[in-house]
Amino acid sequence: MKASSFHLNLLKQSETLSSSPVRLRIMLPVGALLACIGLLVWWGVLFTQIVLTKTQAHSIEEDLATKNSAHAEAIQKRDLARELKLQLEQLEYYKSGVRSIGEPLAKFAEIVPLRVQLKEMSITPPMPQVLMPPGLKVPLFGPTENVETQKLVIAGLTTKETPVVSLMESLETGFEKLVTSERKINSFKQDNAEIDGRKLLSFEVEYTMPERRFAK
Amino acid sequence: MKLQLTKDKTIEIKFPSGGAKSVRDITGIELFATGETECPAIRLVYKKKAWHIAASGFAKAPNGDLPMRWEDTPHQPVWEMPHEFTSPHAALAVNSPMATFAQSTADAVVQDMMTGLAAQDEKSTAGDKSQPDGKRRFGIKREQPALPAKKPSAQQENPTRKPPFPGAGTPVSENGRRFVVRPMAEANFHLCASLPEFQTLWLSRLLPEGKRPTASSIQVAESALMASILLQPEFIAADGNALAIFMRPEATYLAGYKKGEPVLWRRCPGVGGVLAMRDAVRNTLGLDEELVDSVLNESLIDPRPALEPFVRPILSQLSLSLDYLTSKHGLKFDHAFLMGVGAGTSHWSTYAEESLHLKLVSPNPFDGLELDKGVDAGDASRHLVALGAAIAGAEVTA
Repeated sequence: MKASSFHLNLLKQSETLSSSPVRLRIMLPVGALLACIGLLVWWGVLFTQIVLTKTQAHSIEEDLATKNSAHAEAIQKRDLARELKLQLEQLEYYKSGVRSIGEPLAKFAEIVPLRVQLKEMSITPPMPQVLMPPGLKVPLFGPTENVETQKLVIAGLTTKETPVVSLMESLETGFEKLVTSERKINSFKQDNAEIDGRKLLSFEVEYTMPERRFAK
Repeated sequence: MKLQLTKDKTIEIKFPSGGAKSVRDITGIELFATGETECPAIRLVYKKKAWHIAASGFAKAPNGDLPMRWEDTPHQPVWEMPHEFTSPHAALAVNSPMATFAQSTADAVVQDMMTGLAAQDEKSTAGDKSQPDGKRRFGIKREQPALPAKKPSAQQENPTRKPPFPGAGTPVSENGRRFVVRPMAEANFHLCASLPEFQTLWLSRLLPEGKRPTASSIQVAESALMASILLQPEFIAADGNALAIFMRPEATYLAGYKKGEPVLWRRCPGVGGVLAMRDAVRNTLGLDEELVDSVLNESLIDPRPALEPFVRPILSQLSLSLDYLTSKHGLKFDHAFLMGVGAGTSHWSTYAEESLHLKLVSPNPFDGLELDKGVDAGDASRHLVALGAAIAGAEVTA
């Protein structure tokens, strides 16, 4: 049974009204308009973002270029500072490596016995430093060795052995800055010179001086 | 889906399952029923694989009468339904003196379309000369000079023009009337309903857009009446073969169905309706109106002397229809439906069995439908047209 056979509907399709409170003939254009506005806003936002990104990229590039030169300058300065620091360090090394022998030398005269005539008192030059090792283009700022050892050579004339021994004994205390206990008698022999008709003896004693340290 | 782009332009998008078949919630409303101050309404809802009556009652009548002239149509009332009837769709069944519903041949339909409103105008005027001028002047008033000029009808322009026969179920406007036809189970016969164009337009705009419900179907009351028994269990059990008597307040109709398709529709000539029957009982037995129902339903007083003269002519017509359906269509019936009588159906059945050996059954019109909570089936016979309008409007398939 189909009720459609009995449905004699006099209402035309074009006269049918929608019972929905949302009317498509209004909502569709409004929806389309809103969609268009939404798209425009979206495109606007997109365009603005692109422009902003481009501007940002440009400014970053400019900033980077500026910073590159500044960076190079900074690196140069850092290198210079490092170099200067090294130089200062070396100077500090030299400063701490200064040998103060003025005071012991001033006292030295007091301990020299009467029968001793000093002919020579010399400090041997240190071993030359290799400041330009092979393969290095720039010479080194400081010594390659941190410890430098020198010798104090005392040569003189005396009448007999006792004064010299006395001198050596005197040097054992209070002259630590000048000499160490390590010594070597290089010579002790008859000299040609005479005083009061007596033949004089020449002597040469070599003292090892305290180590000169190039360190902080 | 129908999309109204502007007030005049509409496009329709058809989906595979679209159209009236997809209607699952509809309110059937009978308008301008004789003897009713309000409008019987029924809300029909398809849920849980069954049709339910979700609401049944009466809606306040629209603020205004059905227009009887083109000039009255500008007074368009806005009608809003009570909350319980706010379904998406509404099927309006209208009782109009200018409506027609008949079983016709194609030629007769075309002839009616050619005649259009003019014939109805003449017929109505001739048939009711006692009415004042304003009431008698139906249809297009072509000769009234004070009115704005109207487009002359097609018949006046070209009197010999023969309108094409309309497609089944497609409403067409011709000569100031709106026509719709459906083929019957008998070859060359059609059911044809028509209303004046201005009444159709007035009805189409009665329920406002954007508020539930809006009109999805406008039917004449007789058409809706014919569809009202389609969901009756006995009708379905008889495989759609049925004979029915429909009592209306002012007329009585006979309807025949063959395999669920219409095969016969005729008005009993010379017989009134329920009002005439009640008048006969009241006048013959000297009763007050309030007592008529109890006399017809109870056996205390025998209403036979009053009822029989009224029923006999109807049974004679029923006999003719029965013979026609038996001889022409091979249909045999042991019972017929008697719908819309209200009271006294047992007497009708007795008379029918005596004269025709035919039992008359008067089922509750709501039989075959699920009733939702709060729906009263006691007043169902007054909702027969509204129910039929809803069933037809939803294009129910049983």
